[in-house]
Amino acid sequence: MANTPRFTIVEGSPQQLAYKWVGIALFSLFLLLIAFAYNDTGSLTLLGNDYTISTPRLTKAIAFIICILGLQVVAGFTGQLSLGQGFFFGTGAYLSAWLVADHNWSWFATLLVVVPACFVLGMIVGIPALRIKGLYLALVTLGLAAIFPSLVQLEGLKPYTNGAGGKQVSSDLKAPDWLPLDGIAAIFQKIPLLGQYFGDGDLSSKESDRVWIFFLMVVLAVICFKLVSNLVNSRPGRALRAIRDNETSAAVTGMNLSLYKTLSFGLASALGGVGGIVYVAELGIASPGDFTQLISIYFIVGLVVGGVGTLSGAVIGGLVITFVPDWASSTQELPVVPERWLSGPTGPLIMGVLLIVLTFVLPGGVVAGTRKLKAKIVRIVPRTPDGDIAEIVDVDELLGDDAENELAAPSV
Amino acid sequence: MDLFLNRVFDGLSNGATYALIALALVMIFKATTLINFAQGEFAMIGAFIVLVLATERGVPMWIAVILAMIIAGLGAAGIERTLIRPFDPADHLPLVIITLGLFLAINAIAGIVWRFDPRRFPELFPSGNALTIGSATLTWYTVGVVCTTLITASLLTLLLNKTKIGLAFRAVSSNLESSELVGVRVGPTLQFGWAIAAAVGALGAAVFVANPVLQLEPTIMIRVLIFAVSAAALGGLDSLWGAIIGGVAIGMVQSIVVPYTPIPNELALATAVIVLLLVLIFKPAGLLGTAAVERV
Repeated sequence: MANTPRFTIVEGSPQQLAYKWVGIALFSLFLLLIAFAYNDTGSLTLLGNDYTISTPRLTKAIAFIICILGLQVVAGFTGQLSLGQGFFFGTGAYLSAWLVADHNWSWFATLLVVVPACFVLGMIVGIPALRIKGLYLALVTLGLAAIFPSLVQLEGLKPYTNGAGGKQVSSDLKAPDWLPLDGIAAIFQKIPLLGQYFGDGDLSSKESDRVWIFFLMVVLAVICFKLVSNLVNSRPGRALRAIRDNETSAAVTGMNLSLYKTLSFGLASALGGVGGIVYVAELGIASPGDFTQLISIYFIVGLVVGGVGTLSGAVIGGLVITFVPDWASSTQELPVVPERWLSGPTGPLIMGVLLIVLTFVLPGGVVAGTRKLKAKIVRIVPRTPDGDIAEIVDVDELLGDDAENELAAPSV
Repeated sequence: MDLFLNRVFDGLSNGATYALIALALVMIFKATTLINFAQGEFAMIGAFIVLVLATERGVPMWIAVILAMIIAGLGAAGIERTLIRPFDPADHLPLVIITLGLFLAINAIAGIVWRFDPRRFPELFPSGNALTIGSATLTWYTVGVVCTTLITASLLTLLLNKTKIGLAFRAVSSNLESSELVGVRVGPTLQFGWAIAAAVGALGAAVFVANPVLQLEPTIMIRVLIFAVSAAALGGLDSLWGAIIGGVAIGMVQSIVVPYTPIPNELALATAVIVLLLVLIFKPAGLLGTAAVERV
């Protein structure tokens, strides 16, 4: 066989469980390390430019990750392109900022309002476009995304949104006293050689709040991922994929196309709203300039970079759209590149080029690329009834090279 | 009454420019049922080329416009050949993503090259008023824009109905696979569609920013694109004359309906979205478009 994996693990065996749990443990440890390492001081030197990766930026990335997760549901699994995720992102952000600042709600209580509100709003604007086959959802949502900044700056809404100045809100998310954050930081600081990367001394109260918010939002994101992954692996999830792959045959098998399409768009919008809560809880301000159509298109970039139709792709996409434009705009000099090109909108340029190049080179995104690599090392095979290891059948070889591309790039 | 007439004239000049961008969108939609989200940015680059040629090289205005149309057309043909043709025209997602990438990249490049400060655009039509009714004035600009749009749509109709390449284009837009079977070279025909669309778009952007109250800057076409999308959907996404009617209708809604209703002025763009939603609810095929009928 052309590419025999180094290890073969039978599904459901102790090895597979160990493999799974070691992966989860390593990921959690990584999160812990990164939260403390980049708390305040951590900076990354990339091509001669210092660039700060701080915990607040990571929390912002979580906000984007949840929004892209929503896009994965509607674009990745249902095949309906939405260019208006920024609209729901903004709605969630403003709604929660208003509830917390003016009505003293707690951040997580706003979920109870934001999620249903964005869900229903998404359904209402989604129904007309989703009844019809084609790119209509993209057209409608592009318009929505473009009107959002002027919508929140309307005279009538000024008392609630504070117009162009942005809605400020102070965070009430304080690290609880029982949590030994200082102790954890001290342990990390004692690690030989690496200890210097974790700052020195106790965390200030601001720093421990940041770490606390980061972990709270990680938990929220994990819950969102779990819910979405349960959905896509269940009966409605299969219906969504059937619609993506062939609308006509899905209709013929008795699926209610517009119902499923609208529900998935509503769910995507609700997740956009959740992302908005995370964003404003971290940043402390919702301002109209943050919710232009640019952010909606960045979400599409995140979707494509990570891989359309893969949940873990949302994580990679969120990190890319958080860090790449920021890095580009904080970089003022690079060797070879003329200065004029760096002082302009370099971030959007990189994102645009990335979008085009990835569609050519890696249509399945980063996740599809790493899956291919991983398949060369470890392969998990299903257990056969008599307990033997099933014969490994290379799906790629059976179906030809195009198979993977078709699975990864659904048609609209 | 005079105020009303003034608003009608405003609506005409805005609507006629939306119609030109909508025409460009329709050209590409007709052939491949794809919406080119970078159409507005192509057009914006065209307007900048006109500005550079006219102010820095001293080329006469209309010759500069024609040169810009040719350059935009060639550029779009090149983009079609390198970035669009490698993909299956029936699979929309990668193509739409490419056009979104073009949207970001072209806008950023324009921002880097020309910066974001607004620039005065030289006059394309004589200044002054063609007609004065009471205190309502019809400017030569409005007359010029409406004539430009009508002439462009007529020339496009002639091109599609009387020339060989037009026949090929109509064949491809009617049925891509069958036309390939009878020997139409599909690739170059679609490339021709992209080139024509970009040229019409460049003309549209040039006449749009030639409006004495507007200035040229890299972000100006984003709003126009949304109005144009709505206009194209209202007219029927595959109908050239539908795009004209849709454009004028959207322009009228913006300048007549908005002032007489409590809709605030800043939300003029929202009317485009509302019209689009109404079209999708009541007449998805648009006014002059062909209804999609699918054989299972």
